Amino acid sequence: MPSTNAVSFNTSRVRSYVFRLPLFTRAVIIVIVAFWVIGVQSLWDVRTWGALIPDEIGITTLYRLNTFPFIHLNAFHAIMNILALTPLMERFEAEHGTLTSLALFFGPLTTIPSFIYLFVEKFILRSNTSVMGASMWVFLLLGMEAIRTYKVNPYLVVATHNIPTWTTPIALLLCVAALVPSSSFLGHLSGLVVGYVCGLGYLKFLAPPERILRWVESKVNIFGRLPHYVNMDQKTYGRFGVLPSSGGSPIGGPTTAKGVVGTGALRLRRDPRILKLPPYLSLLCILVGVVWLFLLPLDDYSRRTYISENALLPGQVHTYFGGSDQNVFRAYKHEVNAMVGKGNIEINDKLESIVKGLGLKAGRQNFTYSAAGLVYSGENVYAILQAPRGDATEAIVLVAAWENVKQELNRNGVALALTLARYFKRWSLWSKDIVFLVTPDSIAGPQAWVDAYHDAHDSSRVDSLPIKSGALQGAIAIDYSQESRFESVHIVYDGVNGQLPNLDLINSVVSIAGGQMGMGVALQEMWHHNDQYPDRLRTMLRGMLKQGLGLASGPHSSFIPYHVDAVTLQPFGDGWQDEMAMGRVIEGTFRSLNNLLEHLHQSFFFYLLMQRERFVSIGTYLPSAMLVAINFTIMAIALWVKSGQPESTPATAADGAEAAGETVTKLNTSTLAVERELFLPLGVVTICQFLAVIPLYLFNHAPENMLTPAFVIFAVFNAVLPSALSSVLTNYYAPSAQQYQLIKSFSLLLLGMFLASLATLNFSLALLVGLLASPLTFMRPWPQSPVLRAACTVLLNAVSPTAILVASAAYWRLDAGAILREAAFAWHVCGMNSPVVVWCVWWPAWLAGSITVLGKSEETKKKTSTVVTVKTKAL
Amino acid sequence: MDGGKVTPGRTMALLAGASVLRLAMFTLLPGLPDLLAGRVEISTPVTSFKRLQEGLFLYNHNVSPYDGGVYHQAPLLLPLFSLLPSFAAFPLATYMLYIGADLLSARALLRIAGSGEAGESALFASPRREKRASGLVVAALFLFNPFTIASCVGRSTGVFTTCAILHAIARAVSGAPLGAMVALSFAAYLSMYPLLLLPPLLLLCYDRQLPKRATRSLTQFATTHLAVAAGVLAALFWMSFLVAGSWEFLPSTYGVQLTLSDLAPNVGLWWYFFVEMFDSFRSFFLAVFWLHLSCYVGGLTVRLRRQPLAVLTLLLGIFAVFKPYPSISDTSLFLALVPLYRHVVPLMRYTFVVAAVIMYATFLGPAFYHLWIYAGSGNANFFYAITLVWGLGQSLLVCDLTFAVLRDEWEVERPEMVGKEIRQI
Repeated sequence: MPSTNAVSFNTSRVRSYVFRLPLFTRAVIIVIVAFWVIGVQSLWDVRTWGALIPDEIGITTLYRLNTFPFIHLNAFHAIMNILALTPLMERFEAEHGTLTSLALFFGPLTTIPSFIYLFVEKFILRSNTSVMGASMWVFLLLGMEAIRTYKVNPYLVVATHNIPTWTTPIALLLCVAALVPSSSFLGHLSGLVVGYVCGLGYLKFLAPPERILRWVESKVNIFGRLPHYVNMDQKTYGRFGVLPSSGGSPIGGPTTAKGVVGTGALRLRRDPRILKLPPYLSLLCILVGVVWLFLLPLDDYSRRTYISENALLPGQVHTYFGGSDQNVFRAYKHEVNAMVGKGNIEINDKLESIVKGLGLKAGRQNFTYSAAGLVYSGENVYAILQAPRGDATEAIVLVAAWENVKQELNRNGVALALTLARYFKRWSLWSKDIVFLVTPDSIAGPQAWVDAYHDAHDSSRVDSLPIKSGALQGAIAIDYSQESRFESVHIVYDGVNGQLPNLDLINSVVSIAGGQMGMGVALQEMWHHNDQYPDRLRTMLRGMLKQGLGLASGPHSSFIPYHVDAVTLQPFGDGWQDEMAMGRVIEGTFRSLNNLLEHLHQSFFFYLLMQRERFVSIGTYLPSAMLVAINFTIMAIALWVKSGQPESTPATAADGAEAAGETVTKLNTSTLAVERELFLPLGVVTICQFLAVIPLYLFNHAPENMLTPAFVIFAVFNAVLPSALSSVLTNYYAPSAQQYQLIKSFSLLLLGMFLASLATLNFSLALLVGLLASPLTFMRPWPQSPVLRAACTVLLNAVSPTAILVASAAYWRLDAGAILREAAFAWHVCGMNSPVVVWCVWWPAWLAGSITVLGKSEETKKKTSTVVTVKTKAL
Repeated sequence: MDGGKVTPGRTMALLAGASVLRLAMFTLLPGLPDLLAGRVEISTPVTSFKRLQEGLFLYNHNVSPYDGGVYHQAPLLLPLFSLLPSFAAFPLATYMLYIGADLLSARALLRIAGSGEAGESALFASPRREKRASGLVVAALFLFNPFTIASCVGRSTGVFTTCAILHAIARAVSGAPLGAMVALSFAAYLSMYPLLLLPPLLLLCYDRQLPKRATRSLTQFATTHLAVAAGVLAALFWMSFLVAGSWEFLPSTYGVQLTLSDLAPNVGLWWYFFVEMFDSFRSFFLAVFWLHLSCYVGGLTVRLRRQPLAVLTLLLGIFAVFKPYPSISDTSLFLALVPLYRHVVPLMRYTFVVAAVIMYATFLGPAFYHLWIYAGSGNANFFYAITLVWGLGQSLLVCDLTFAVLRDEWEVERPEMVGKEIRQI
């Protein structure tokens, strides 16, 4: 209900109100509290002594007529009544004076309602309900207030019905009777009736004559010295003048007063300086986000890793792989060497015969993918070791791709997988099935297999699996192409789209390889790590870059989207560890996974690793990406507010000396928000978003040999497009400055929103795109200054998606076409969605920002622009 | 934007554009309809197309459709869909049915907007009414609203309820109270909650009666028309009884809504509460939630007696937040009626906040659902938090619209306060 009464809670006002309470009101409150305190002890039952009990009333117990309002049932009762009574009593006393209040409330205003109550209760109802408490006074005073309100403001209009305002205490009475247990309806009613009668003025004769009061006051001087005493001259019959009561009517009716006590927030909103703040706030957000990121490797912000899942028990079992298994490994190595250079099918025939010879069930699967005009096809072969102690409801996977991601032959890996298959088959302790999977390549093959395993494959391209096992609990891939002895193990853990395996899996491998086997463990190709700040930062940034790109980094990557935790183990370096040591690491890891009682879930899924035993979790690092995303939202909100404000004319700025007069005009103008022209800005932003389909489709469907030319053409098109769109816009629609603000506002709002959502899915990508798009926050039209406009355009072109692609290709000495081919492959095979983020989130925002920079909306063109706006409105 | 005069040509172009867009989404993006049909934001247990197909299968094999405990929709949908060519063999017929429902809704909206009821009702004329949205714009905002398109492509049966409710309002504003009652009965038959719209709709019918055959007494008017609505509902129930063969459809359709026995997640606020709740409190809180949902009807109807259409709009907004199984189809119905109040938009204060909150929730909702269900790295609280934000955004819009409508009324009573800042307490 709108009302002009500015009612806001303000502690200082409450305090001063309490300190200004007049004398009689204070006395009443103190007496009530005192009686409650007395009532706490049990020696003297103050309640039976003072309550109004109809049967107890005799000539000697008439004191009850005056004591009962001060006595309450319990603390809650007392507090509620004090809260209700204080404002009403304060008002009465301020209007009529302390002495009158004292006389009335110790006389007729208490005794008359009690007599009425006694009469009805005893002689009509013939019962004996005792009453106590000040609520009778509350209703009496409410009745008086209501009559006075009624005289000023007779009706409350609800819909089309007029409701007399004097009925509001009755409504309250009914509510109290219905909701508050053991409240005396009759007692309240008698108070209310007397209040009505009194309010109508029929009880005026009861008040002591003013002449006598003045005489008393002049004689008994002590009253004048009492603090807070309201004497006959201070009392204000008309203190509230024509104002209606605000205590009596719960629903504020129309009032004539104009309550414009602006609170702090309101005044702040009108302050013109507040609109200058957002760009700095945005800048601060970006800076804090970046600084936050660089603080993470410090000891105070990162944590040591720990194993959360107790069932894993990594490194707690003795591993027996070794001894004669070395001879088996050599034999399989010979077999593998003999297969090198043969076709996929021949290799698989041989592998199948080997695993069948071990007594495992084997299956094969064909797949054919096409991306960027190239066809990726092959055949997977896999074998299932059925768990001696399990029921085929759970399984662990050991993957050995024939070729690793660098197209090197994984001779040792495949041989080791076969040896382990033979070795594992001898043990009876497996409670989960073990699947041995050999794929022809490292990305497409595992993807096809894991898709088909979960029946999520496109059966026209990928065959279904002939045999299956239970739910996959984890997967380990071996990438062992090094021929010499090795020193350390490199753990590759990035999944597709920046998803990561559960940290417990990595911790287990670290603890088995590093702790039990005594070999080194490296992450993110940091072959040497001294655990100092620069190395930690480098590890973290490499991890973020890989996560941001979202590419598959090994055979394990395809498993992670299916919530199967997986890593690839890569031996590296020149040391004394041999294949058996690698086998023992895998054996130990499998024994740990075998222990799992439920899916890995205890530890983190979102983390940044900066050393093998140091990480930060999502709660610590997420703020940096969120701050970067929020900077766009802040700017969008600021621009929206700004676009709704009338343009300040120089006239008001000139006579700033008349501060008072100016605030008045401001008050009036600032409430009248300017109508915003939404159609054109919405249209521009929508068109930018839809244009994004072009590069997305082009780069995902162009054949490989066309990718480089297509990219060059698109880069040129991209450089020209903003100018072309901008000239179309200025020539045909002539947008106003407000419309440019709105274009920017909407595009930044969308960008901030997408990035905030993305940060929960792929933190690194959101942060990367957010930082690269951060200049967009500060772009604005420069109608007067061509130099600045040119500078901004150059800056924007330097951070455009195409320019960044070219720059990164140059940095890594790659061909832009090769990057696009990889992206198209990952898009079609792995379902990587980074291209969507680049082309449908970042690029449209960049386009809208470029259009804003190139915008021309001068004050001189204002006249024509309004004419044209009218025309566009008619469209 | 405002100058869009409604001409037959433009209307046809708009409807054609909307149907081509929908048809393209149905046919050119083959994975999309099924993807959307599986989304919890679109398909609730009482509107899901997949469940409808399940019920249809049972019905066509002479098994009671409610036996599986999956189908919770009205029985009369079954003969309707089994008259159509089978969805598996010839999906186009189903697509056309859904597109047709959307177009009919748009036509009803055109009629509602054309009547000008939003700005000038029988008892109240807004001083701002000349700045009203053209019917074409209103219809276009409905037809091209992504939520509408998504619920049409996801083939939620809420589309039919939307169509029936809009037709009830359209009949009411064009002075056909009987038609309005029939349409509302259909809506109530399909989803039950539209029954709560009866009081404001009756008032709207009463206000917009044609002068020739006007009934003066509101009591008499209400009695006759309530009898009509009850009669139509009774007839529908009887037909359902004939189709389903027993009365068990009542507990399986309306009973599920009343007792929330299916706790599938949705964008509403109920499911999480009742998932977490101890069974002994369940019936108490069911009563509280339903009481809460229905308590707005009386208050709003009385308070905004002079603008019954505003009451209907606000109630639809409230239902879209607080009903047991809300979906974005309910939101799209509310958002379809909001543009009718174009003239009070300058009085609204949180338009940008509301738009931003709703959009944020639109993007974060699926992201968090993914984290919960697929990635396994989030949990149910993630999604529930976002549905809270979604509800917050919509209730903010309801509050803001209420404020704007009330302020508009108030400025007529108090012309001296026009343009002054006031505060809502």
